[in-house]
Amino acid sequence: MTQPKFDELIHPSTRLSLVATLAAVDWAEFAFLKDRLELSDSALSKQLTTLEDAGYITTERRVSGSRRKVRARLTPAGRDAFDGHIAALQAIVGDAARPLSGPAPRS
Amino acid sequence: MDNVAAEQARDALATAEHARRQVAEEVGLPRAYWWVMAAGWLVLGAGGAVLPWWLTTIATVAFGAGHVIFASRLLSGRRRTQQIQVSAAVAGRRIPTVVVGMLFVFVAVTILVALALDAEGTDHASIWAAGMVAAVVGFGGPEILRVVRRWVRA
Repeated sequence: MTQPKFDELIHPSTRLSLVATLAAVDWAEFAFLKDRLELSDSALSKQLTTLEDAGYITTERRVSGSRRKVRARLTPAGRDAFDGHIAALQAIVGDAARPLSGPAPRS
Repeated sequence: MDNVAAEQARDALATAEHARRQVAEEVGLPRAYWWVMAAGWLVLGAGGAVLPWWLTTIATVAFGAGHVIFASRLLSGRRRTQQIQVSAAVAGRRIPTVVVGMLFVFVAVTILVALALDAEGTDHASIWAAGMVAAVVGFGGPEILRVVRRWVRA
């Protein structure tokens, strides 16, 4: 069972989408991520660099024909952080849904 | 974490789920797979009309063997495009069964259509039947797979 652990680095919406996408694939190319997340080249590069610096993803540069392609994949640490973050979010939602404890009012 | 409201957490979970669903939509087989399959269907249908039965049988078995050898990696549904490889957890294990099941249904439809056309006295019934099914496979294969996946929740 994954321990809930809120992760400030993953939580911003764009980064959460990026990590959630990478959590669902073995690897994804830069072009795919850019298209699905509707980000500019520079914005996506910045997000990937942030996650790579944190050790959450790795990127791999490949040459395909005359084009250079970048592939990103989640590291085990990144997957643990994502799973922990999702568990933490679920815990927050679960706590909010739980009725407040205390003695039942007498009629 | 204490500063995150339940509503925010719910939105974040929805964002993550949306991303996962987008990837799940990528599960399938490359377009080229369906075109090669359609071409094979047409060639075998034509072969059935003009070649002796034993040669058609050999060609059909060879086509099936080629499918096993060359398409087995694709049947997982994780490599529809060259831009991503969907994780095994998201793709699930039932895509190969669904695809092979579809192919068996296509074979059955081809035979039934050929028999129906033959009964009506149509010349080269097997070619017409194979051509019709080949068109369905080539043009509609990815969409049919998507619908069948939804039906069987694969």
